[in-house]
Amino acid sequence: MTRDELEHVLAAVLDVGEMMLTSGAEVNRVENTIKRMMQAYGCNRVDVFTIPSNIVVSVQTMEEVVLTQTRRIANYETDMYKIERCNALSRRVCAEPPTLQELKNVVDQIKQEKGYSSLTKLITYGVISAAFSVFFGGSWSDGVAAFVCGLLLYVSAEACGRLKVQRIILNIVCSVLVGLGAVLLTSLGIGQSVDKIIIGNIMLLIPGIALTTSVRDMISGDTVSGMLGLCEALIRALAIAAGFALVLWQFPV
Amino acid sequence: MRDVIQTIMGMIGAVGFATLFHVRINKLWACALGGGLSWVVYLVVLNRTDDKAFGLLASTLTVGFLAEILARVLKTPVTILLVPMLIPLIPGGDLYYTTSYLVRDMAEEFAESLNLVIREAGAIAFGIIMVTCFVQVTQQLYNRFKVSK
Repeated sequence: MTRDELEHVLAAVLDVGEMMLTSGAEVNRVENTIKRMMQAYGCNRVDVFTIPSNIVVSVQTMEEVVLTQTRRIANYETDMYKIERCNALSRRVCAEPPTLQELKNVVDQIKQEKGYSSLTKLITYGVISAAFSVFFGGSWSDGVAAFVCGLLLYVSAEACGRLKVQRIILNIVCSVLVGLGAVLLTSLGIGQSVDKIIIGNIMLLIPGIALTTSVRDMISGDTVSGMLGLCEALIRALAIAAGFALVLWQFPV
Repeated sequence: MRDVIQTIMGMIGAVGFATLFHVRINKLWACALGGGLSWVVYLVVLNRTDDKAFGLLASTLTVGFLAEILARVLKTPVTILLVPMLIPLIPGGDLYYTTSYLVRDMAEEFAESLNLVIREAGAIAFGIIMVTCFVQVTQQLYNRFKVSK
């Protein structure tokens, strides 16, 4: 393989690593995937360093070609299907490395994969918050109110996302809006307990996946990545708590 | 009856989150199964021991192993199944009450419920750690055994 080809292969493999990381895979899995794939393409030494916001890879081939590429990671959106597809691709590459063009095609295909539609997500938000508000002891009418608040939550989160609002502010704004919505709905007679309605929505905001991933990172020895993830999750949790605290403080229940 | 409704709601929640995380339809049943199981185990253990954190630990261990096994059967990464299954265990309610005690200036209740939340989160994290370590060691032993044979 020429140096030029290797550069393109490395870029494609980094695309895979980037997608996995932004979709919520553990650091350990990302590093292993990149390493195995590059080894399958004939590199005898692969060094990968990954933290949640960056990937650096250096590879060395038999012909003494040394290459380094790096990626800055910014936007995260949990997408388990992409992780799964990348995982399958990596298995395939390890079994029988496809040609450069084929590899690129598959990577592009995964990149363009559309998940569930916005409408599905909107309704899912409502259903989740309704389910959890009943789960935590709310009545059925609390569930209805939580459903409406869930829809409100999705719309406000989506709007803040479009406006590129900073993520901490986004969490505060969303929780304030949901809290106000819950207070308003109960005063209109839909639902009785503001607390149960809000709890249903809190479940949607809690950074559960970030917490789980960072714990798993720390166990597999990536302490730095784990700490970064944990810190971010805690800050987000604090922002959510602050948002609801503002509402509760103004409208005591 | 209340427990049954709660378990069903937990399953709906788990499936909902799996949908948000773009898990494909053909794997949603596994998430529903795990979500339901996690809550049933929690309720049973809570009934016996009356210790919330212990219940969460037992439940996390159970679904942790379930997720590891199912991931191997379905040939998918463990995270895909584990995260949705753990969703019903997240102490969202206690987190809310902690905040509300803080705002209402109820220092004693605040300290108590903050302590509870930290213990609960710790129990879940510890459960995940135990399962992962156990699986890693077992895999190593299995590999060695295979090589020496």
